[in-house]
Amino acid sequence: MKSRKTLRFMDSVVTHMILIAVCFIFLFPCLWLILASFSKSGSIYSFDGFFPSEYSFDTFRMLFTDTEMYNYPRWFRNTLFIATMSCLIGTFLVILTAYTMSRFKFRGRKAIMKTTLVLGMFPSFMGMIAVYIIMTQFGLINKMWGLILIYSSGAPMGYLTQKGFFDTIPGSIDEAARIDGATNFQVFLKINLPISMPIIVYTALTSFVFPWSDFILPKLLLKEKDLYTVAVGLMSLGETEFARFAAGSVFIAVPIVILYFCLMRFLVDGMTAGAVKG
Amino acid sequence: MRRKGYRFLAALLCAGLLAGCGAGSGDGNDGGGAQDGQNTQTDGGDGPDLSNIYSGELEQNVTIRVLENDTAIEQGYFQELIDAFNEAYAEYGIVAVDANMDQYSNLADDGPYGYGPDVLYQANDVLMKYVDGKHIYPIPVQELECYSQIPERAWEAYRREIDGVTYHMAVPVNVQTGMLYYRKDLLPEDWETAWDDNANGIPDMIENWNDMYRFSQQRMAENEGQFGYMRSMYDVYFSSGFLFSYGGYVFGSNNTDPSDVGFSAGDSWMGASVLLQQSELMNEGCIDDTITVNAYSKLADGTYFATMTTPDVYTLFLKELILAYQAQGMDEEAARALAEENLVMTQVPMLPASADLSEENPELIPLKTMGGVNGYAISAYTKAPNACLAFVEFATSYEMVMRRCELLGIAPARSDVAENRGGTSEMIYQKLEEGNVVLMPSVTEVDQIWTPAQSFFSDLAKDAFREPGEKKYDDPEKLKAGLAQVDQQIHDAIFTLSGQ
Repeated sequence: MKSRKTLRFMDSVVTHMILIAVCFIFLFPCLWLILASFSKSGSIYSFDGFFPSEYSFDTFRMLFTDTEMYNYPRWFRNTLFIATMSCLIGTFLVILTAYTMSRFKFRGRKAIMKTTLVLGMFPSFMGMIAVYIIMTQFGLINKMWGLILIYSSGAPMGYLTQKGFFDTIPGSIDEAARIDGATNFQVFLKINLPISMPIIVYTALTSFVFPWSDFILPKLLLKEKDLYTVAVGLMSLGETEFARFAAGSVFIAVPIVILYFCLMRFLVDGMTAGAVKG
Repeated sequence: MRRKGYRFLAALLCAGLLAGCGAGSGDGNDGGGAQDGQNTQTDGGDGPDLSNIYSGELEQNVTIRVLENDTAIEQGYFQELIDAFNEAYAEYGIVAVDANMDQYSNLADDGPYGYGPDVLYQANDVLMKYVDGKHIYPIPVQELECYSQIPERAWEAYRREIDGVTYHMAVPVNVQTGMLYYRKDLLPEDWETAWDDNANGIPDMIENWNDMYRFSQQRMAENEGQFGYMRSMYDVYFSSGFLFSYGGYVFGSNNTDPSDVGFSAGDSWMGASVLLQQSELMNEGCIDDTITVNAYSKLADGTYFATMTTPDVYTLFLKELILAYQAQGMDEEAARALAEENLVMTQVPMLPASADLSEENPELIPLKTMGGVNGYAISAYTKAPNACLAFVEFATSYEMVMRRCELLGIAPARSDVAENRGGTSEMIYQKLEEGNVVLMPSVTEVDQIWTPAQSFFSDLAKDAFREPGEKKYDDPEKLKAGLAQVDQQIHDAIFTLSGQ
């Protein structure tokens, strides 16, 4: 009896130690970057061992005030605009695509699904040169709307997760609504949409995060410094600007965290919002 | 019926091939007006006739986009330049603006689609890469006021012969090469008596590498965490100069013949030997680019006494030193004054002819350094070549180059500015004139030299940290073999891998 208790205790200790070690491995780089962003000297080489020797808010102040060469506030605004618009349009398109594929049977549906599945297997950067040439022809180089167009129009390609969610909503709900005289649009808007909140939130988050942190496409399409996104701007920093880089990298996480906390409620609420009753 | 179809297909393919041959005999580039300009030029008078590009009549009411380097923008020089130009050409409605692009942006990528700048300021190896694709226009430099003031060696960097006609593709402004940076306040207190044998007021360790070697040993002996001269050895731009000083070169025929790679030519192994001896007095940061990146803060905190880099980063060293003095309790003004006094940028020390850094009273030879010439070029995609030419002439005038020197501390390519500025500017100019600045080759094949040479220098630096029995370069023959391998790798990269 006693040995079983000891065994259970040991098991718990080992499990917790492994979990702590794993947490530490994931947390440490973030912690290091956050501390580095508060480094007073601004140089990685003046650190006292692994961590800065002195701390201050100067780097964050400089990030938003010293904008002659590196206009972080502008990069931030650009990124926010691109990510927000891509998120809104992309989410709308993905949900519509997924709902259509889930609820309607039409000719070529299977073929479209198979094609999108295969196309989705190719890495997106494969078509970068073609994208660049097409965008030059449309005059969308150096235009933030060009990026939004690409992000939004590419988003429905990843509709399968959302379709999976709509597939789990029983068709009997739709039938009940239709018996009561609801049109297709009303069924979608008033019945399915409210109970699909978790997947909408998930879609919105992913549609926001990808353009928010993407580097390749903005680097390719935005040539002017005033149009840089944060990812491109941070990559353009000089070699002695490590603290600015660290501060910029830390601050870029702020909107994502805020968005996550704002939308987290809907993830849970949506799960309990709808069900087939009695 | 089927046979007829095959015949038709075969005929179609042949027609396609022939059409392709026809297209191939052109320029193979969709670069617009650039080709017309270059292909019809004839040699005449003082230079080629470029009247089909530059009509001589200024385009009115145009905006020209100028790509400048970041330091010029940061220090306010570029704003002064475009303000002055816009005022001078206001009557024509010509407005110069910042291209607002990355300083290293590639005209070959953006130009053909109409997104590149009209005028660009970049280094000679970058600008001359655009020549093959005809992305930049030749410039009638003989007509410019600065022509006679710029030395032949600087013009050479921008010269290209096409169909027997010599063209100048850009106008040199600034000479970049390795300079020695050191902290005057880290010199020994008794340097005037103990470290100035020739009593010329210049510390011996600044004058020759043998004394720098001795001083580095002394600093390390006094404190293990402190060093004398420090430099990332793997950096080809700075390390290759040691090879050139003993007979090495990049390409033959004055850097124009890539079939002749010469890193192992002459006694260049002696230069490699000097680098090896220097590495022994450094830490492992010399193997990669650690020292290049941390030199700013390490020179400021006194860990390093000296390093070698280009003049354009002077302000970065100064900024770090000011911060270091402020951290010691000084106010900003006092810290700045002291930093300006103690941070010295000067020419690199002399080398021993024997390549033995421990030799007493050696015969000295100058250290050649790799260099580059930054200049203004005109995009072949501009719609206002005459206005661009006017801008280039304005930006390379005595007044503007002098102002550039004052604000950025650059070494001018103009002799009159160098002479009047004196100091470092004149020093570098003289070095260029004497042939001790080896300009980066202005041929596209130069892209292939960096990786093989970098691997060799890195391996060489690593040798200083290998156990005695494991050393790879412990005799001249091994150094020679290593350098010969570099030559072979570069040759292979140019002629085999890149399919030339």
